[in-house]
Formats: sequence, structure tokens, C-alpha cells
Amino acid sequence: MALLSRQPWLVATGLLVPLLTLASPGWLKLDAVPPAWSVLWLLPWALSEGRLAGAAAGLGLGLLLDGLHPGTVSLVPGLVLLGWWWGRMGRKAPLIQRSFSLGLLALVGTALLNGSLMLQWALLSWRGAASLQGSVEGLAGGAEALRQAGPSAALVAMPLWRWEDLAQVGLQVLLAQTLLTALLAPMLCSLQLIFWRQVGAGWRGLSV
Amino acid sequence: MAPVRLLRVGALLPLLRVWPWLLVLLALVAVRLSKGALLSDAYGLLSRPFWPGSAQQEWISAAQRLGDRARLEQLERENRRLRGLLDLPAVQGRRLQAAVISRQPGGWWQQLLLGKGSLQGVGVGDAIVAPGGLIGLVASTTPTTSTVRLLSDPGSRVGVWVGRSRQQGLLSGIGTARPLLRFLEKDPDARPGDVIFTSPASTLVPPNLPVGVIQRINADADPAPEALVQLSAPADAVDWVQVLLP
Repeated sequence: MALLSRQPWLVATGLLVPLLTLASPGWLKLDAVPPAWSVLWLLPWALSEGRLAGAAAGLGLGLLLDGLHPGTVSLVPGLVLLGWWWGRMGRKAPLIQRSFSLGLLALVGTALLNGSLMLQWALLSWRGAASLQGSVEGLAGGAEALRQAGPSAALVAMPLWRWEDLAQVGLQVLLAQTLLTALLAPMLCSLQLIFWRQVGAGWRGLSV
Repeated sequence: MAPVRLLRVGALLPLLRVWPWLLVLLALVAVRLSKGALLSDAYGLLSRPFWPGSAQQEWISAAQRLGDRARLEQLERENRRLRGLLDLPAVQGRRLQAAVISRQPGGWWQQLLLGKGSLQGVGVGDAIVAPGGLIGLVASTTPTTSTVRLLSDPGSRVGVWVGRSRQQGLLSGIGTARPLLRFLEKDPDARPGDVIFTSPASTLVPPNLPVGVIQRINADADPAPEALVQLSAPADAVDWVQVLLP
């Protein structure tokens, strides 16, 4: 029942996440990378409401955010896992909700979320490279002369992130977003924790 | 000796009388030899207050622009006719102005959100140009907005060619501000400073839109030579763009 009474606030604040993602101001970016607003919203919610509510919110938020960008990779796995993990952590260790701990959790969570994206892209790149290599070898028919004739258009059209770009640019994006999110988390997540606790009529009586 | 000296002085007397005329003659010869330089300079100096003013210069510039526009339209008509004869895709004609309402030039997805959507005729795959050239293609649309995948996005692939040598290549985003141009030939005739345009052979984008300038070439790249391209349109700074409607 408590969760139901918080539904309007849940929906209203949850909808703010994609809006903030779209409207991230330039001065709040590091190396043109915005903070992970999804992490900043999900962390206090999951800590306050538990693993099921956290995982469900992660699923909903991931679906919302996936709609904002084209492509095959998804934020859903990372956010669901984070919601579940933080939900378990909130129930088991109330003291984790101090400001420094919130920053640390946001740092680890953002790194994991970006890591899940990198993993998906790496898998896609690996599958794409394997299939293209097979098709090129099939076209060449094993003839060395055909292989030396020039690069295949299919091979140079290899899609999405390459390994070397993931290692360089991807790591740069991961570090920038992780650092920025961890810096914002102590303030924003503490305020949200207080808010969720007030709305939830003092859930478990924990202090921030 | 004295009569001889008097004779010589007497012979010079007429010359002494006409020396001003000799100077005039010398001046005229100088004018002749300098092709009238003194006269022209003097005329220019004296007539400077009566030279054509800036207003007349503007008229001429306006006439020049009008002539250029008419010539451009004529060339475009001719281009359309020839492309029609060769069964090549038509060059986009109508342009729709759209405001950039959200920009994400960095991060995992590099995209813009425009304030015009399918209700205004924007479709998936439409080319987006900004001052400077092409910046991306429409990746998805809603009734009132459209998402543009920037050329720097890792999912972006656009067929281009080098304007000078007509070497074809594929421009691929790699997540940085400078996308990667992969040539389709092993020995491309390209060098830093060459301007890149969209390829007329591409079926995805209108031909010959300026894209950027080659900044660095890696001729030893495998499987094909690669070049880093500095985009000519600043996607992270534009507030208004044009959608090229089919």
C-alpha cells in the first residue's frame, strides 16, 4: 500500500529522468558527457524501497531511456541489476546510506552501468566481425589473389563500436560519467532519500 | 683661343633660350615612355571625389549575386536532368528549418533532437545539414520531434568521396568528434586538406554535400587506408538545422 500511495511521486520523478537526460545543460557535462541521471534517481529509490521495487524501477527506467536513442544495446540489464543490488543493500545495511557511501555506490553503479553497455557493444562487435570475416572468406573462395585485390566493402562497413574505440573512447566516456555522477550523488541522493522517507512515513526509521 | 671660346658660347645661346621648352619635351618623352603614368596618376588624384561610391559597388555585387543564383539554378536543373537520365537518385529539393531542442554530442549515443517530426514531413534517413555541411541523418521520428544520429556516432555510416580525386570511401563515426574515413581502394589519391563530400553513388544521402576536411591519413591501416576527418559543421554548437526532404 505504501508503494501505491507513492506511485504519483514515483511516476513524476521517474519521468524527470529522461527529461533531464535530454535537457542536460552544457555546464553540467564533463568532456561532453552528462551524468547518469538514471543512477542518481534509482539509487535512493532502491535503497529506500528494496530489491523488488528497485529492480522494477530499473526495468521501467531502462525501457524509458532506451526509447531515447537508436541502437540495439539496452540500459535495462544494468539498471535492473543495480536496482536489485541496491535494494538488497538498503535492507541489509542501513548505514550505507551516508553521503560518502552514496557517492561511492553511485560511482560503482555508474561504472557497472557503462560496463554493461561496453560489454553489449563488444559482443555485437565480436559477432559482427566474425560474421563479416566469414562472408568475406566465402566470397574470396579461399583464393589469395582475391583477398589481396582490395578490402571488401562489407568489411570496411563493420558496424558500431570497434574494439580499439571501445578501449579508448568508451573508457573515456565511462570515466567522465562515473566521476560526474559520483560527485553529484551525495547531495542529490541524500535529498531524495529524505523525500522518499517522508513520503513513505519514515520507512524503518533510518537516518541519512 | 679667345675667338674659338666666343664661337662656342655663341652656339649655345639658342639652347639657353629654349631650355624651358626642352624640359617640356623631356617631360613629354617621360610621359610617353611611362605609358602615361604621370597623366593617369594625376587624373586619378584629381577625379577621386567623383569615383563610383559604395552604393554603386553594392549594385554591382547584387547583380553578381543575382547572376550567380540564376547560374546555380540553371546548373541544378541541368544536374537533375542528367541524374534523371542516368537513373541516379534525385537531389533533395525542399529544405525544412528545425530547431535543435536537445543535443548529446558526447557519450555513448551522439545525437540531436529536433523540434520537427513526421507531422511536418520529416522521415527516417533524411539528411540534416547545418552551416558548413552535413551533420547527420534522421534515425527516428515522432509526430513532433526527430532524432538525428550525428556523423560522429559509432553507428553512423555515410558514403563519401574526396572532392579533388573522386576517391570513394565510407565515413564511420568512432565516438570522437572526428569520424574515420575508410577508403575503398588500397591506394587512394588523398592528402590532408582534401575536402570530403557525400558520394553521388550513395543511395542514403544527397550527393555532393560538404562533410569535412581530411586531417590525417593512415596509409598503413588494415584492411584499407584510413583518414581522420574534421567535420565542417559544428554539431555541438548549432541551434538551427535544415532537414533535406525527399
